[in-house]
Amino acid sequence: MWYGYAGKLLRVDLTNGEIKMEELDKNELRKYIGCVGYAAKLLYKEMPGGIDPLAPEAKVVLATGPITGTLSPSGGSYEVCYKSPLSGTWNQARSGGAFGPKLKYAGFDFVVIEGKAAEPVYLYINDGKAEIRPAKHLWGLNVEETTDALIKELDDPEVSVAAIGQAGENGVLYAALINDRGRAAGRGGIGAVFGSKNLKAVTVNGNGGIKVAKPKDFMDAVSKAEQWLKNYLLAGIPTMGTIGLVSLHDSLGILPTKNFQTAHFEKADEISGEKFNREYNIKKRACYGCTFACGRYSSVNNGSFYTPPMEGPEYETVDMLGANCGVHDMEAIIRGNFLCNVYGLDTVSTGMSIAFAMECYEKGLLTEKDTDGLSLHWGNAEVMVQLVEKIANKEGFGEFLAQGVKRMAEKLGPDSEEAAIHVKGLELPAHEPRSESKVLAVQYATSPRGACHMHPNWPATWDFGQLDCGMKELGVPWPPTEVPDESAKKGTAYRYVALQGEISENLGACIFYSWGSEGNCITPQLYAEMVSALTGWDVTAEELLTAADRSWNLKRCFNAREGFTRKDDKLPKRFSQAIPDGPSEGGKVENLDVMLDAYYEAMNWDKETGLPKPEKLKELGMDFAIINN
Amino acid sequence: MSKLLTVDPSLCTGCHRCEMWCSMTKYGEVNPSRSNVYVIRREPAVDVPIVCMQCGLCLSACPTGALTREGSTDAVTVDANLCAGCGTCVNVCPYGVLRFDEETNLAAKCDLCGGDPACANHCPQGAIRYEEINKAAARRRELWAMAFASKVR
Repeated sequence: MWYGYAGKLLRVDLTNGEIKMEELDKNELRKYIGCVGYAAKLLYKEMPGGIDPLAPEAKVVLATGPITGTLSPSGGSYEVCYKSPLSGTWNQARSGGAFGPKLKYAGFDFVVIEGKAAEPVYLYINDGKAEIRPAKHLWGLNVEETTDALIKELDDPEVSVAAIGQAGENGVLYAALINDRGRAAGRGGIGAVFGSKNLKAVTVNGNGGIKVAKPKDFMDAVSKAEQWLKNYLLAGIPTMGTIGLVSLHDSLGILPTKNFQTAHFEKADEISGEKFNREYNIKKRACYGCTFACGRYSSVNNGSFYTPPMEGPEYETVDMLGANCGVHDMEAIIRGNFLCNVYGLDTVSTGMSIAFAMECYEKGLLTEKDTDGLSLHWGNAEVMVQLVEKIANKEGFGEFLAQGVKRMAEKLGPDSEEAAIHVKGLELPAHEPRSESKVLAVQYATSPRGACHMHPNWPATWDFGQLDCGMKELGVPWPPTEVPDESAKKGTAYRYVALQGEISENLGACIFYSWGSEGNCITPQLYAEMVSALTGWDVTAEELLTAADRSWNLKRCFNAREGFTRKDDKLPKRFSQAIPDGPSEGGKVENLDVMLDAYYEAMNWDKETGLPKPEKLKELGMDFAIINN
Repeated sequence: MSKLLTVDPSLCTGCHRCEMWCSMTKYGEVNPSRSNVYVIRREPAVDVPIVCMQCGLCLSACPTGALTREGSTDAVTVDANLCAGCGTCVNVCPYGVLRFDEETNLAAKCDLCGGDPACANHCPQGAIRYEEINKAAARRRELWAMAFASKVR
């Protein structure tokens, strides 16, 4: 009998059409708690290093955790774990909506997909059953059309559909997997991986419930969380949606603008959350079980950027397609977001690729001969929207953009390097490491998937927000007082920031709920109460922390096997230069090496290689991951 | 004076917490498909909670007398000892808020949790409320009026 978990893993081999269901091993699962942690174990053990992420041998894990689909308000998530074709590293792309919860209601915690179908297929999962079904009739359709067609075909308006659009079919290296029409497992190119497998979509639904070992304890813990969250400190997230960050970030000089050339945007008012709420917002919508409802629906009713009702835009998208391209037309941003949703593109890498091209164009490294005659001046809203379509269809100049910033810069030569804002090939998101958070600089340099502001955590919570997020109660010194040097302190602190975020990743929880402190967010202690009541296991916050340490180290080992070491933990050159103007003028990232030294030391990683020491892995019971040099 | 469940769809975000709380309270598991409140989430941007209005149309249809109006809350409730699981009540309910529970083989419907409804207690948006009857009646009139107004506008 399983409590809290569905207890099953679904294995799908698209090459030979084989489907298997496996009972999970409780002891093994508990070591990693679930979701990303257990997926890391699966991929580390089952997928040897050096496999081409777009080859049939590459595996993909759709993962949920014990929190997913339960009454925890953070339970609307699932994560897609895979090797990224964009960066060649580990990747985990989180998404909300209904897909993760419904996967559990259908009876599966994990789905492992491998192989390549001879012809387009979709994976149908319903109430403990799974089938590989033909999808030739869906190939070439966008996400919206695919979703509509599958709902009709299955005669089930409640089915959750995760699908790729043309971008994934065409192998755009930052194509996304979009579930429930507007929720994206966005980053790293999972859409291209699906495309390479001829896998158009996965549909899930089920009537199975999640059994709870101690119902009264669980309801008490959930009620406590609901009460605590009434005091949530980042109140703008529920009231304004993430788009509310635009004006705040601009006023603080932390709004990436014109490909990170500066950190404030003179026309930020025109793309602000305030303007959005006044003119374009239809309503707020929640992922499954979410009390915040940060999602927004919007439309543009007429004009050249006409957009039917769609989910978005989020802060990231507004900055990336907006300020970061110098674009100050909200309608163009909404239209661009809509096109990314229907074609299945990551809005962050799409915006960054366009911004890179715009900077190169302004500098004369690209001309109208290269750009199909388009004028890529900063702020050209119409061209920005046109480029989104060209990227998705790999049409003309779009084919060049579809490779992402790193590969474009390699082709354009050293002069373009300054404009190449990525780490390990993953373009930076809309968070400025020079002024928002120096701990963020450590995360960008070292995160297993490359430049990421969210996996496993939003580091600004520590040095910008001074939030302990319940780690102090866990006996973790906060701030780390044993380190006198300011830079080293940030490096040391990052270990705690990362592990606190990793706790949430392994639970299958939305990280937004983890920010604050006891009494106003879901702390590791409160999660331990929930998971104990759900599963009937006696889980402590310390156990969650140890599991987080395991998966965090294991992902480092995964990347080590792909050849990544300390030499790759670096930032784009631009961030060692000062922000030229605005409220954060002069801000820059200094002493990254000192921060990294302190971080590796706190992790018990070798300072030279940046890799987990054998004794560290032994201590965590992961001898299998020891790398023999 | 008794209370009524009322719904304001304009506040609903489609989070399904009411369904999760309902199944948790009634069966000790999280399972929206065993909930006695229903959230219809459709695209584009439709989120509507549907609750039993306790109208009692099902009362007289029940062949075994398993459905009765409960004194303190005025809720129509299912007596598990009398219910034959025939499904007649599900058949006659025009609102689709009765269902046949396949695990218990009984009719299942909202009983207002004996006067302390979990869905309303835990709705994070205030879209489902449990209100004094006059206030609730006023809210219902308002909703009908506005539904009509949007048609003539």
